[in-house]
Formats: sequence, structure tokens, C-alpha cells
Amino acid sequence: MIQLHKVSRVYPPDYTGVKEITFQVEDGEFLFLCGPSGAGKTTLLRLLFRAEQPTEGQIVVSGRNITRLKGQALAAFRRSLGLVFQDFKLIPRISALENVALAADVTGVSWREGRRKAFRLLAELGLKDKYAVLPPALSGGEQQRVAIARALVNDPELVLADEPTGNLDPELAEETMRLFARIHRQGTTVLVATHDHRFLRSFDGRVLMMRQGRLAGIHDTVRAASAP
Amino acid sequence: MRSAYVLFVAGRVAGSLRELIWTHLLTAGIMAMTLSVFGGFLIIQANVGRLVKGWSEEVQVFAYLKDGVDAAAAEAMRARVASYPEVRAVSYVSKEGAWDAFKQSLGSQSGILEGLKTDTLPASLDVELRSAYRSRDAVMSLARRLTALDGVQDVEYPETWLEKVRLLMAGIEWLKWALGGFLFLVAFLIVGSTIKLAIVARQDEIEIMQLVGAADGLIKAPFVIEGMIQGLAGAALALGLLRASFSLLTAELVAPFGSLVAVEEFVFLDAPRCVLLVAMGWLLGTAGSMLSVKRFLA
Repeated sequence: MIQLHKVSRVYPPDYTGVKEITFQVEDGEFLFLCGPSGAGKTTLLRLLFRAEQPTEGQIVVSGRNITRLKGQALAAFRRSLGLVFQDFKLIPRISALENVALAADVTGVSWREGRRKAFRLLAELGLKDKYAVLPPALSGGEQQRVAIARALVNDPELVLADEPTGNLDPELAEETMRLFARIHRQGTTVLVATHDHRFLRSFDGRVLMMRQGRLAGIHDTVRAASAP
Repeated sequence: MRSAYVLFVAGRVAGSLRELIWTHLLTAGIMAMTLSVFGGFLIIQANVGRLVKGWSEEVQVFAYLKDGVDAAAAEAMRARVASYPEVRAVSYVSKEGAWDAFKQSLGSQSGILEGLKTDTLPASLDVELRSAYRSRDAVMSLARRLTALDGVQDVEYPETWLEKVRLLMAGIEWLKWALGGFLFLVAFLIVGSTIKLAIVARQDEIEIMQLVGAADGLIKAPFVIEGMIQGLAGAALALGLLRASFSLLTAELVAPFGSLVAVEEFVFLDAPRCVLLVAMGWLLGTAGSMLSVKRFLA
């Protein structure tokens, strides 16, 4: 379960990233964070994976207050998450398989086990024949699937995705969202930040609407999609 | 550390060394030059030390006796001087003995002494020193005591030579640390810069590792090990360079003067000094990389 209580992030001198955000996400939920550019979606996600610290408020994930985590505790917390980004964040010098296995390696699993899990996930995501290819030689959709495989390699309970379809054409974007829905059906909590309202018609879940750093409303996907 | 982590770190190190091979080689080369200069001084110091030790074994103190001292009194003085702790041997040389020795040393030129009186030279006590008492201070102390003896006219010892040797040794020691220290600082900064370059080149990878939850040590260790490898490679290169230069110099420069100095009298670095050089390379590489990691990998 994720709980945010009056979370604010203010950047010096006085730019407000997010302000007094309070909400709760139950285990196994699928949640969209929606809003226009600059609404504070990315800031909120960065607070959730502790790339940033809130200037006010508390964030509790799975019963643990992550607000002031640092060092080994922060690294351990990050290992329990799956993160997906708009720009994929893949290392261009190593193969798709090695990119995925990297996340397993840092947990201390054996080299063989890391590659085995990475290969199984790549195969599941349709990249069985591309495991040895370097990221720059993959299409955008393929790169995003590699990034998703990396996010899933440690079987996280929570997946956070920041505009995962932002760099993809509509068809690939739809396919990527279906992938997140599939991950969710397997019991994983998924939070997807997106400014693209098209997906709200086709996927079940809750929607957190954000505007100018504030929470503008919480709806289910059907109501949010039909809103003006 | 788990074997998986060891493999992981080894993989990162190998990747970085491959990627920045020329930068790493250049740094190891600079490190080798620096350590070679320091090692060169160590070799010079070791050899000068050996030469000085050899020469100092021949150091003698001569106590010239007054004209009125007869053989019995001289013998009593000899016995007394022989009891001094710093004296290994002492011999009495009579006026005639001194004359004969001088004549002998002139060899075929001894004819020039014809017509001179054979008691021209003074009788003396020739004192040989124990090895522990061949320092300048010990020699001077003995000379003072000999001068104070009744019947001694004058005492002669190689004061200037001892002082020059002392200055030479001090100069080599000073130069070794001054020049070596400066070059160490340069090498330290260059290793730091190379590691900074490696950090910048892998910024994306570092960020991704942080995002997937890599422990701090796992991110930093490869860079520190890279510095360590640079230092050790530099030290190995330096030893090779020094060995080659040493062989070349002894063969090409010293050999022609073989009658004066035997090639085998010169020694290369002994095992403890080789270990010292390698340890300094290791220390420089590790410290340089750690500083860089601390500064640029917050």
C-alpha cells in the first residue's frame, strides 16, 4: 500500500513542483496519474521512487516511511521497485539481455540466474531473437519492452512508469499499455504517469488528475475518460 | 562479498578498461615515469651507499708522534689506543718504517728521495676502526681523544671526505623525496582526472545503476579498482623500465671503465625496494581514484 500525506515539493526559490498531495493506493491497484505537462506527475513519481525528497509531508510504501531514506536502505527500497521511463534509460554499450540482467545483478543473484531470468522475460515480451542486440539497434517499442523487462526482473510489487508511451507511435503505445495491464493482472501494483487520455477508455483503474502541482480529482477510468 | 558481486564489479572494470584503453595506458605510462624517477634515486642511493660502505672500511686515523717519543713509550700508547672500543687494530709505524713505506709507494720514482734523511717522516700510530664507528662524528670523537694523548703531535683523518660523503647522501635523499614527491603529486592528480573521465563517460550507467538499486559500494568499487590497476600497471612498467635502463647503463657506460669499477659492484633494487615501489604505485592509484570518486560520484 502507498500512502501520501500532504506531500509538497518546492524548488528554490519558490517554484512548486507538487503541493499538499494526499492519496492512497491499495495493493494490486492500477493507477493513472494524468494531467498536462507541468502538472507535477513526474515530480510525484520521482518522490515515490525517492529520486527527490518532499519538502513537506510523508510518503509510506508497504508500511515503511521512505521520506528520509538514504544509503543502503534507499538502494534496498529501489530494488523492490520496477521503474520505466519515457527515454527508456538503457545503457547503449551493452546488449538488451545485459541491460535487463543489470537489475538482477545488483541484488546479488548469481550471474547465470540473472541472465536466465532476463532471457525468460525478453522472450515473454517478444524479444527472444533480439537479446544480444545493442539498444541503439532496437526500435523505440523494442527498447521500451527491454526497459519493462528490466523493471520486472526482480518481481517487484510496485511498478512506476513515467510517460512510458511518450516516445512511441500510437500502435506501440497501445501495445505497451496492454503490457502494463498484463503485469497488473498478475497482481502487481502499477502507477503510470501519462498525459495521453486515450488509454483511459481502454484500461480499467483509477485516475489521479493533477493540475499545477495539485491533485485535481480522483476518478475511475471510465468517468475520467468521459470528462470534458 | 558474494561471488556474483565480484563478477559484476570485474565486468564493469573490464568494460571501462576496454572503453578507455588509451587513457588508462597513458595514465599508467605517466605513473611509470614518475615511479621510475623515484626508483632511479633508490638505485643511486643503494649503490652510493654500497660504495661509501666499501670506502669507509678503508678509513684510517693517523696519530703522528712527537720526535722525543721512544719505542717503549710508543708501544705503551699503542696498547692504550688498542683498548678503545672503536678501534679494530692499531699498529706502530716507526720513522724508518714510515720512510720505507713511502719509498715503496713511489716505486720506480723512489730515486728522488736519494740524499734525504731517513728520519724525515714522523713515527705514527695507524688506527683502523670497527665498522660501527666509521661515521663522521665517531671519527672526530676518536681524533679528539688521540690529540689529547701525551706524545701525539698531530692527528690526521679524512674529515673533508667524510663530510662530502655525508652531504652527497643527504642530497640524494632530499632530491629523492622532493622530486619524487612532486612527481607523485602530478601522478596522483592525473589518476584522479582519468577516473573523473571514466565517471563522466559512464554517467548514464551510474544513474541507471542508482535507479535499479545498486548499493553505493557496487557503483564506486569499479572506479577505485581501475585506479588501483593503473597504479600497479605503472609500477610494473616502472620496474621493467628501470631494469632495462640499469642493464643498458652498466653494460654501455660502466663496462668501458671496467678496470676502475667492476660492473658486478653495481646492484639493482633489492626485493624490499621493489615491493616499496609497487606499494607506492598501488597507493597512488588507489588514493587518486578514491579522491575522484568522492568528489565526482556523490
